[in-house]
Amino acid sequence: MDKQYYPALDETLCRATLPNGLRVLVVPKQGFTKKLAYFVTDFGAVHTDFSLDGEKITVPAGVAHYLEHKIFDLPGRDVSAEFAAMGAMVNAFTSYDLTAYYFSCTENFEDCLDLLLEFVSTPYFTEESVEKERGIIDQEIGMVADEPGSRVFENLMTAMYRSHPIRIPILGTSQTIRDITPEILHTCHRAFYHPGNMLLCVVGDVDPEVVCAQACRILGDAAGNMGQKAPFPEEPTSCPESAVTAQMDIAMPMFSMGFKCPPIDKGEAAIRREFIGDLAAEVLFGEASALYLQLYAEGVIDSSFGGGYETIDGCALLNCGGDSQYPEKVRDAILAEAAGICQNGIPQDTFLRLKRSAMGRRIRDLDSFDSTCFRLCAYEMTEFDYFRFPELYGDIEAEEVCQFIRQVVRPEGCSLSIIYPIKEENP
Amino acid sequence: MQQTLALCPGVTLRCIQDHRFKQSALSIQLLRPMAESEAAVNALLPAVLLRGCQSCPDLQQITQRLDDLYGASIGTLVRRIGDYQTTGFYCGFMEDRFALPGDEILAPMVHFAMELLLEPITEDGGFSRDFVESEKRNLIATIDSERSDKRAYAAGRLLKIMCKNDTFGIPRLGEKEQVEAVDHRSCYAHYQKILRESPIEIFYVGAASIDRVAQLLQPELARIFRQLRALPAQTGYRPCDGQQAEETQDIAQGKLGLGFVTPITNRDPRFAAMQVCNAVFGGGMTSKLFMEVREKMSLCYAIGSGYYGSKGILTVGAGIDTRQRERTQAAILDQLAACCNGEISRQELTAAKESILSGLRAVYDSPGAIESFFSTAAISGLGRTPEVYAAEIAAVTVADVVEAAKTVVFHSAFFLKGVDHG
Repeated sequence: MDKQYYPALDETLCRATLPNGLRVLVVPKQGFTKKLAYFVTDFGAVHTDFSLDGEKITVPAGVAHYLEHKIFDLPGRDVSAEFAAMGAMVNAFTSYDLTAYYFSCTENFEDCLDLLLEFVSTPYFTEESVEKERGIIDQEIGMVADEPGSRVFENLMTAMYRSHPIRIPILGTSQTIRDITPEILHTCHRAFYHPGNMLLCVVGDVDPEVVCAQACRILGDAAGNMGQKAPFPEEPTSCPESAVTAQMDIAMPMFSMGFKCPPIDKGEAAIRREFIGDLAAEVLFGEASALYLQLYAEGVIDSSFGGGYETIDGCALLNCGGDSQYPEKVRDAILAEAAGICQNGIPQDTFLRLKRSAMGRRIRDLDSFDSTCFRLCAYEMTEFDYFRFPELYGDIEAEEVCQFIRQVVRPEGCSLSIIYPIKEENP
Repeated sequence: MQQTLALCPGVTLRCIQDHRFKQSALSIQLLRPMAESEAAVNALLPAVLLRGCQSCPDLQQITQRLDDLYGASIGTLVRRIGDYQTTGFYCGFMEDRFALPGDEILAPMVHFAMELLLEPITEDGGFSRDFVESEKRNLIATIDSERSDKRAYAAGRLLKIMCKNDTFGIPRLGEKEQVEAVDHRSCYAHYQKILRESPIEIFYVGAASIDRVAQLLQPELARIFRQLRALPAQTGYRPCDGQQAEETQDIAQGKLGLGFVTPITNRDPRFAAMQVCNAVFGGGMTSKLFMEVREKMSLCYAIGSGYYGSKGILTVGAGIDTRQRERTQAAILDQLAACCNGEISRQELTAAKESILSGLRAVYDSPGAIESFFSTAAISGLGRTPEVYAAEIAAVTVADVVEAAKTVVFHSAFFLKGVDHG
C-alpha cells in the first residue's frame, strides 16, 4: 500500500488499487473514535445512456436513485437494523454523477465494513419489493417538489441545458419511475457496481491493510465487463432560455442564476478550473467583494445569498442564488461588475487574501470526517489527489481568474430561475 | 478534560484543550430568560453587531479581516436551552500551527470578536439605523422562510399549540411582529442592559491553554461595567388543554405532527430511560415508527420522533399523503402502545441504545460538537459529561423503557394538509 504524509495538512493518505480493480483510500486518524467509510460508484442520475457487453442501453430517469434504495435489500435480512445493532449509522445518497453508500461508527468497524461491502455488492431485487418502493419514492419526489431550493435549481438546469440529462431531477419523475423493473436494476448494478468502477474511502483510526484485505475477501475477483457511459450530447455554449419562473407557497421570491462554462474533462486541469471558478465567485460576488456590500446595503440581496462553481459530469457552471425581491438587478449588477474586473484586473493583495482564505477554509474542513471523505472520493473520481490542494492554490495566478470571468460571465451564457410567492396568499 | 475559570462577575470561561484539530472554536453567549418580550431583539442583536465595529465599519472590511485570518468565520449564535435563550457569537478559526511562519490567528481572533461585541457603530443614541433595519429584514426573511420549510413549519405550529402557557412555544427567533417593533434605539438600550446584567458563558476548544485564553480575554472584559442579575431557575412543562388543529396549503405532501407530554425531564433520574424510549419509538431507521409505519405499511416517506428533555415533550412528525391521515395517526399511536406493552425486542433495545451511545462517543471528534455539548450542558445546569451520560444509557433495561413509555400522554395534533386536486 502506498503511504504518503502531507506536512502542510498534517494528514496521511494510504492508497491502493486491488487486483479486482477497486481503488482504496484510507486516512488514518489516530486519537479519534469516529470511523467513516464511503463506498462509491461513479454512476449517478445523469448516466441513463450506456453500453454493456456491446449492447446500447437507455434506462428511465431516476434509476440510480431507485437502485440506491433497493440495494439495501438482502434476502431475509434488514441491513439498517444490523448496522444499528452494531451502533453504526448507515445511509446513502445519489447525486447527478455518483452514488455513495456510507456508515459511521465508533465500534465494530470491521464488521460494519464487511456488511457495507456485502450489501452494496449483492443485488437482490424482487418484483414485490421493487413495486413497494415505488410508493415510497413517489412520496419522496413529492417532498422534493415542495422544496423551493431544489425546484429553483432544477428549473435552472432546464433553462441552461438543451439536452443534457441534468434537465431531469435526480429522483426522476412519477412517470419515469413507473417503468423501472428488477431487470433494469440488475443491468445497472452489473454495469456500474463493478469493483473496477468503484471507490472505497475510510477516514478514522483503522489499519489500512486490514481494510484492503476485507475488500479483497468480500468482493472477490471481478467478473464480467463494466458499463461504458455514452458521451453526452453536445451542448451549445449559450443557454436555450435566459429565464424560467414558477410560483410556490413561499414568502419571498427566490432565485438561482447560472453562467454556463464549457464542460471540462478529468484530471488536474479540471480541479484547477474548479479552484479558479470558486475564486472568481469570491472576486465577483463573495462576501468580501464590493458588489456584495453594495447589493446587501441596498437590500437587493440578504444573508441567504451565496454561490460558487459547480461541476457535474458533462456540465460546469458558475452558480449563485438566494432570496431577493429583485433577481434581475442581481444579474445585471454581476454582468456589469464582471466587465469592470475584466478591464481593471484583480489587485494583487485582494487576490492573495482570497487564496489564503480559501485554503484556510479547506484546511479547517479537514476536521469534518464527512467533508474529507466526500471530497477525497469526488476528487479521486476526477483523478486528482485532494490532499494536494495547497500546492494547486499556490500557483494559481490572478490573470487566470480574470480570464475565466471574461470567458464565462456574459449575457448569452446566463440563465435566471425565479420562484415567486403565490399571489393573494393569506398566512 | 473541561476547565473552568470565573473571569469577572458572572462571566465564566470554560475550555477543553485539544491538539488533534485543524481549527478551534470559541463561543460567547449572553444568557437571557426566554420571553416573548425580548426573544426577537435577542435574535437580532448579534446580527447587528456583526455588521460593523469601530475598526471595521462595514461587511466588506469585516470579511477582509476574516479572510486575512485564513478564512476564519464568525456567526450569530442564538440557542434555546430550556427556559433560557442565549445570544452571542460562534467563531471557527484555523489553529496557529497551520499558518505561515510569523502569522497568528487565535490572539487577533479573540481581539476581533471582542471588538465586534463591545465597540459597535452607534448614532443618534442607538445602533446604526441602517444596520438595524436591514438585519430586521434578514431576520424576518429567516422567520418567513420557515413557512417555506413545511416540516419545520408544522413542527413549530404543534409546539405553539402545546405550549400556550410555556416558554417552549416561543419560537427561538421570536415572532415577526416583535422584530418589526424593534428600532435602533431600543435595540441599543437592550444591548447595554444585557451586557451589564446577563450571565456570560465563553467556551473555547483548541490547542491553547485556559490560561492563555483567559489572558487574551481579561483586558477586553475589564472594559465592561457589570451589574449581574441572576436568571430564574429552569422549570418543567407548564400545561394547557390539548387541541387538534389543521391547516390547508397548496403542497404535494401533508405534514402530520403529534405531540405528547411526559413528567420525565432531563433533571429526572429516569431521563436516560426516556431517551432510549424515544429512540425505540421513533428515533431513527430502526425505530418502530420507521420500521412499521414507513417500511411495512408504506404510509409515509419521512417519519420520526423527537424528545425535548428540558420540558418533557415528545413530538412525532410525518410526511404523508393527505388521504392517509387517520390511518397514519392510528398507526403511530399503536406503536406507542406497543412500547407500553413491552413489545420491545432485544435487538430494538440494543439499536436504540447504540444510536445514542455512538453520538455520545463522537462528541469528542469535532470542536463544534464539543462546544455544543459542553456549553449546552453547563447552561442547562446539568453537569453530566458524555461518559457519565453514556453509562446511564447503557444501564437502561426494557422494563425501564416500558415504565418511561407509560408516562407518555397524547396531548395535541397539528395537520398541514395539501389541497385535494383529485
